[in-house]
Amino acid sequence: MSRYFSTFQLVLLALFAALVVVAKIALKLPLQLSGHSGIFWMALIVVAAGIVPKPGAASLVGLTSGILAAFLGLGDFGALNTFLSYTVIGIGTDLALLLLRDLENLTVAALVGAIGHFGKFLVKWGLGALTGAPVGFVALGLTKAMIGYIVFGAIGGVLGALTLRALRRAGFFVYLAEKR
Amino acid sequence: MLKLARFPRSQIIARSPLRQVDPRVRLAISLGASLAVMLPLQRLLLFLAFYVMLLLWARLTRPALQQIWRLKWVLLILFIIDWFVVSLDLAIIVTLRVLLLTGSFAFLVHTTTPGELRLVLEWLCVPHRYAFSLSLAFQSVTLLTEEWRAIQEAQRARGAWQPPRWAGWRGLPAQLREMLALTVPAIVLTTRRAWALTESAHARGFDAPHRRSFRQLMMAWTDWLLLAFVACVIVFVVFYF
Repeated sequence: MSRYFSTFQLVLLALFAALVVVAKIALKLPLQLSGHSGIFWMALIVVAAGIVPKPGAASLVGLTSGILAAFLGLGDFGALNTFLSYTVIGIGTDLALLLLRDLENLTVAALVGAIGHFGKFLVKWGLGALTGAPVGFVALGLTKAMIGYIVFGAIGGVLGALTLRALRRAGFFVYLAEKR
Repeated sequence: MLKLARFPRSQIIARSPLRQVDPRVRLAISLGASLAVMLPLQRLLLFLAFYVMLLLWARLTRPALQQIWRLKWVLLILFIIDWFVVSLDLAIIVTLRVLLLTGSFAFLVHTTTPGELRLVLEWLCVPHRYAFSLSLAFQSVTLLTEEWRAIQEAQRARGAWQPPRWAGWRGLPAQLREMLALTVPAIVLTTRRAWALTESAHARGFDAPHRRSFRQLMMAWTDWLLLAFVACVIVFVVFYF
């Protein structure tokens, strides 16, 4: 029976998800701006989508890292917000990849990163609206954060594209082709 | 300055009585609590009273309070803004809803091990290959954290990477190139680990037909009792109060 993702691809994507969480925990940039962790976050998701070029790969990384992050107690707004944020970032990246395909192009990767990371804003806004707070206030309160999400998401996308280029130059994809 | 954060400690509260309860019941309680955020103020207060009692019984008040403490400024600002801009009623209900939403999954995440989560996912008809890979990801976090730190130290010793510092937007392209010294080896090592794990899983008959988990979930009568009790409370709060 042919399967959409091979076992190797599933394990690889799961480990990328763990790497997303590790990068979030182990590396903090000295920036007091919300969303800056998205640099590594989006870079790894873009790389995962570049290495396993199938629709759903980024969503799977997002979903898995969301579950991991929720169970490891990351995020200030509780497990549900953490889980949804990570998952929606993955889904957003996959949706962006339906239109924008060449992930080694810096502009395309920046756009994919920005769109994907923007999903985090949507989750915060949605949960804010769910609590009954006036939607306009929530959006206004999150404006600065939204700009941060877009900018750092785009930077993360660029880092992902640079990583993919470096991996290609190093012959990583030839090595990977033998493993599929 | 680079901050090497502590490795994430296990969040599991081993002495919680909920540890003896079937993980599916814990998931149901968490989902019920997260749906309760949509209740109006009076019913929400009643549900919160029940929720706090459940937290006390489950010995989960400490992690719940820690979570609230991390949110203290957000809650305070939210409360003040809502009070001054709209009304006190709205300020109270929004704050209570944020509190409940934040803590709603505490019953699950602080009492469920990765192995139990895998069994729950398989029970929810999630393909076992995905449930397995998720469980693998949980177990790999420690190893990957150690590898990530080793890469950082090695690249720093080579002078290929410096702990990130904010050098303005102009310094960003150079810093991004430096970060490649971390991401590239991390990806290559992760891929090698993924391949080794896949081979090892296949060697142990991972894709064999008719495979069954060694541990199976079984609902005891106490699990049914707790589930029925929680369901009754939710029905009472939603429909009869």
